[in-house]
This record gives sequence, C-alpha cells and structure tokens, in this order.
Amino acid sequence: MQSANLDELKKDSRSLELNTLSLWISKLGIFIVVGIFLIVGPLVSAKFYTLANLTTILQTVAILGIVAVGVAFVTYSGHYADLSVPSVMAFAGIITVATLHYGIAISLLLGILAGLSIGIINGFVVGVYKANPIIWTLAVEYVLNGLMRWIWGANQIYPDLHGNNGRAASSFVNLARQYVGPIPLVFILLFCAVIIGQLILSKTRFGRRLKVVGSSAEVAKFSGINVPLTIGIAFLISAFAASIGGIFLTSLVKLGVYSNGTGYDFNAVTAVVVGGVSLAGGRGNIVGVLGGTLLLGILVNVLNLIGVSQLYQTIVEGVIFIIVVGVNQKSLRKLGRDDA
Amino acid sequence: MLKTGRNGKISSMVNRYRIVWLCIITFLVMSIFAPHFFNLYNFTTILETMCLNAVVAIGFTIVIIMGKLDLSIGSNLTLGAMFVIGFEPHFGWTISLLIAVISGGIVGLVNGLLVAKAKIDSFIVTLGTMTIVQGIVYLYANGGALYTKDTGLGGWLQQSFIPLFPPIVLISVIIILVFEGILTFTRYGRGFYILGGNKETAWLAGLKTDQYLIQGFTISGMTAALAGALFAITLNSALPDLGVSSTMQVIAATIIGGASMAGGEGSVVKSMVAVLTLVILYNGLTLLGAGNSIQILFSGLILAVVVLQESFSLYQRNKLRGQRVELLKEFSLKR
Repeated sequence: MQSANLDELKKDSRSLELNTLSLWISKLGIFIVVGIFLIVGPLVSAKFYTLANLTTILQTVAILGIVAVGVAFVTYSGHYADLSVPSVMAFAGIITVATLHYGIAISLLLGILAGLSIGIINGFVVGVYKANPIIWTLAVEYVLNGLMRWIWGANQIYPDLHGNNGRAASSFVNLARQYVGPIPLVFILLFCAVIIGQLILSKTRFGRRLKVVGSSAEVAKFSGINVPLTIGIAFLISAFAASIGGIFLTSLVKLGVYSNGTGYDFNAVTAVVVGGVSLAGGRGNIVGVLGGTLLLGILVNVLNLIGVSQLYQTIVEGVIFIIVVGVNQKSLRKLGRDDA
Repeated sequence: MLKTGRNGKISSMVNRYRIVWLCIITFLVMSIFAPHFFNLYNFTTILETMCLNAVVAIGFTIVIIMGKLDLSIGSNLTLGAMFVIGFEPHFGWTISLLIAVISGGIVGLVNGLLVAKAKIDSFIVTLGTMTIVQGIVYLYANGGALYTKDTGLGGWLQQSFIPLFPPIVLISVIIILVFEGILTFTRYGRGFYILGGNKETAWLAGLKTDQYLIQGFTISGMTAALAGALFAITLNSALPDLGVSSTMQVIAATIIGGASMAGGEGSVVKSMVAVLTLVILYNGLTLLGAGNSIQILFSGLILAVVVLQESFSLYQRNKLRGQRVELLKEFSLKR
C-alpha cells in the first residue's frame, strides 16, 4: 500500500513537452503574420497580387528595410535603438549632394563617411563610457539636427541638373530610380543588406561576439571579448546602413534637407522588434527584420486597398504592433527562453 | 593621485545640485547678454512656458524612477488638450477637464497593465500606444485643430494676481510640490524608488510591484493629459501635433534633471528646474536673435554634456572598483 503510494509520488507530473504552438511561433516568428496577410490580401482586393501592387509594397519599405537592418545590430547588442538614425540619414544625403561637384563616386563615398563619423562617435561614447544608448543617440540627434538646420536650413540644397555638374547630379537623382534588368536597384540593395547582415550575424566571429555581448555584457567582458569595440562596430553598422538609406532617400526626393529621415527612427525600431529581435539583446535574426519590414509595407497596402482612412491606419498599426510583440514574448516565456 | 576627502565632497555637491547650478548659470548668462531678458514680464512668460513640460515631466519622472520609459506622453498631452477643448461646449470646463484627465489616465492604465501583467517591454508598449493615441486624436478632430469661444478661463489662468505667479504657474507648481512631497516623504512614494532600484528586492520586501507599475503609468498618463488640457485652455485651442516636440524635450529635461534611465533615481522638482533651464535657454537665445536651429543645437549639447559627464564619472568610479582608496593613501603616506 505504502509502496504504491511512493511510486505514485515518484512519478514526475511535470510536463516536459514544449508547447507546440509556442515552438512554431518562435521558429517562424513574424512570417506567420506575413503569411496571414498574404492570404488575406487577395481576399480583400483582386489587385493585391498584381506586379504593380507588389512593387509598390516593396518600394514603400525598401529604404526603411535597409535602415532597419542596421538598427537591428544595435538592438541585438542590447542597446535598444539608435535614435540618431534620422539625422544620420539627412546628413549623409546633404553631404553627398553638397559634394556632387567632385563627381558621383567621390560624393557618395564622402556621404557614407559623414554618416560613419557619427556612428564612430555613438559607438565610442556608448561602448567605452557606457552612456545610455537611447539618451545619447537622442542628444546626437538633437545636435546634428540643429547643426543641419543652422547651416543648410535657409538654403536647401538640391542636385542641380542644369548646372556645371549636370551629369553627376542626374546620375545621383537616377540612383533611386535605377533598374537592374527589371528589378529596381533599391530592392537588390535591400536583399543584399539582409543577406550580408544575416551572414555577419550568424557566420562571423563578430556576430557570435555580438550575441554574447547582447546576452550579457558582463559575461562577455570576462570571457575576453573586447566589449567596447564590439558595441562600437554595431553602431558603425547602424550608421552605415542609415547613410545608404539616407542617400537613396535624398536621391528619391531630389532635395537635401534636415527633415529627410524624420520618422525612420521609430519605424525602424518597430520593424526590428516586430521582426523578433529582442530588446533585451542577443536574440533574433536579420531575416526576421526583413519580415517585420515587409509586414509594415503589406499592412499599409492592405489597409489602403480596403479603403481604411489614414486616420484609422495608425491605430490599427499600433494595435498590431503591440499584439505581435506581446505574443512573441509570451511564447518565448512559455519555452523558458526569456527571463522577462 | 586618487581623489578622496574634500575633493570628493565638492564633486558630490556639484553632482547632486548639478541642475540647480546649471539653471543659475544659464539665468546669469542670459541676464547679462540677452537684451530685454531681465524684466518681470519676460520672467512671467518663462514661467508660463515652463508649465506644460514641467507638469508632463511629473509622471514621466515617476516612470523613469521605476526604470521604465513612457513614449506616449506626447500623444497623451495632445489627447488631453483635444478633449478639454472638444467637450467644453457640451459639458463646461470642469467636466471636460475631468474627462481629459481620466482619458489620459485610461491610456496610462492600459500602458501599465501591458507592462506589468503582459510583461511586454515598456519601450514597445508605449511606442505602440503613442501611435494609437495619436490616431485617436486625429480621428477625434478629423485631423484638424479645435477652438473654443469661451476664453474667460484661459484669460483668468494667465492674469497676474500675484506678480510672477499667474494662476496657471501657481497650480502647476503646487501640483509638482505635492508629488515631490509624496515621492520623498511617504512610504508609498519611496516604493517607486525601491521598485526602480531593484524589482526583485522590492518584491521580496513585500511591495506590490505590479500595482506600483500600473499606478505609475496611470499617473504619467493623467499628468500628461492634465498638462495638455491646461495648456489648451490658456491657448483657447488645441492642435493635433501639440505634443510631438514635447516628448523629446521632456525626456531630455528629465535626464538633465538627474533621473537615471536605470531607475531608482530622480526628482520631480529637479525635472521642473531642468525644464525651466531649457525654457530660459530658449527664451534667451530667441532674444539674442538666434533661430530655432540654435535652440535645438544647444539643448542637444546640454543633454550630450550631461550624459557624458554622468557616464564619464561612472566610468572612472568603475575603474576604481575593488581598490580600497583609504588604505592606498595610508600606504603612500608611510612611504
């Protein structure tokens, strides 16, 4: 009698099986939601699966996607977000336009270098002095924005198509309108950014170090990783992606102005976080970020096709944002992979 | 040499009252250089301008003390402004003010519930509610501005019965002092600091951490809406993008005022002084003939310098961690 009781007691009633739903959610992540929208899309409107519409979707988010890939590295390193992205974008664009008389190649290089210099400052201060990333990049955003308004606010600069540097100017303007075969150059750049970003994150030594730094900076320090350098490179990548995005945006609007990147900071963070990169750092991947970016584009497109007014759209976007991230975090918690 | 003794005390004095020094220095510089700065009328203007962001900063400081972030303050502020102007023709000022504050509180409550119960990061939650509430604001006013014909209360709020302190300044300062008192002297208020310092410890000490989080966010929503409502009443109108620039300014001011993003540190009054400093700076620079660009540049520089100073002193302290400074000094004296 007693032994039977003991046997019963010994039996472990705790479930060892992982929650299947949570497992799938954590594996596929954002692409479940993207898939749902791809199924709902044609039901909503027959126009959804036309080539023109799909191109429109990609075109609205291509630059955002490039920027988001960069910001993902900062988020992955456990530093929330790079809020200086809008200024870096505008700055890179302005510098490129301002130096167009040196020829297109040199001006592009100078534009990217200008963006990178901001990235170095961010990386140095946040990496070495451990300043709070949100506040520091916010301060940089303010300073850079003020500077650009001060210097170029009164006289906005634009690529002068009919001036002395007409050829350089026209090739700069064509940059965002360039096609490689049937595919726009921006799309190719976006997919290149995603593939290269994913490879850097998962295949290189830097990527693995970044994962350790993102998971726990203290552990990384004691395992001999150069933490400030790793964080610095993450910010540098963010600035690099932002400058490329900014140059394309400037080429698209044909005007170098301080307000060019407005809104890209929070939109990029949205894409990154919806794409499954954890704000706590060290979890997520770049392919997910692409998914997050696509979701933003498809969402706006579907809402437009339904005929939802712009006023309702922001509300729907906000609700979906919170739900997606909430479900993702909950499933991670169920699997025991998140200590939040 | 390692810094000890008097030197340490002075630097701690500088650190603790940093924002007060900063405010006084800004005030003196502007008094000397800016034309038409030093007069009663201008001071009243400065204090009135301060009210909006200073009252928003109450709730935001509490959220920062808890170690969280509330990005929805800007939208909440606009919501309060819109509702108080929009409902005034139907219900009168008192009820519409109540509606405004309560609706801000509801947004805060949702924030708090999502952060505490659904355990989503506050950065994400409030980023989401920021867009949602902004959408509601646009929807409510159809994307336009709202005006009121009843300008009586707005005029009264700005009348200077007491020099320097028109009713709106008086109300704002009293609210801020009440909150400072609660945070500093009551057991309930200290709970926010304990929660921000270490959530685990707070829970073990018997604090209802979830309730604190929810209440903190609710307060943040309410004060933001209240600030927006008061501001709208004095303006007799509400614009749909009223709070856009406020979010970043309040974040900057709160950090300049000494609150730490890590949580457990911060003071409502110091945040107010920081807001005041920024307003004095803006005002003085405008009088000096500088444009909007210079103002943005300078507030960015101040924020950058404060963040740098803070993190640099932490960096140096961390370098000394584990060394026993007193023993080292004794050792060097003996030699």
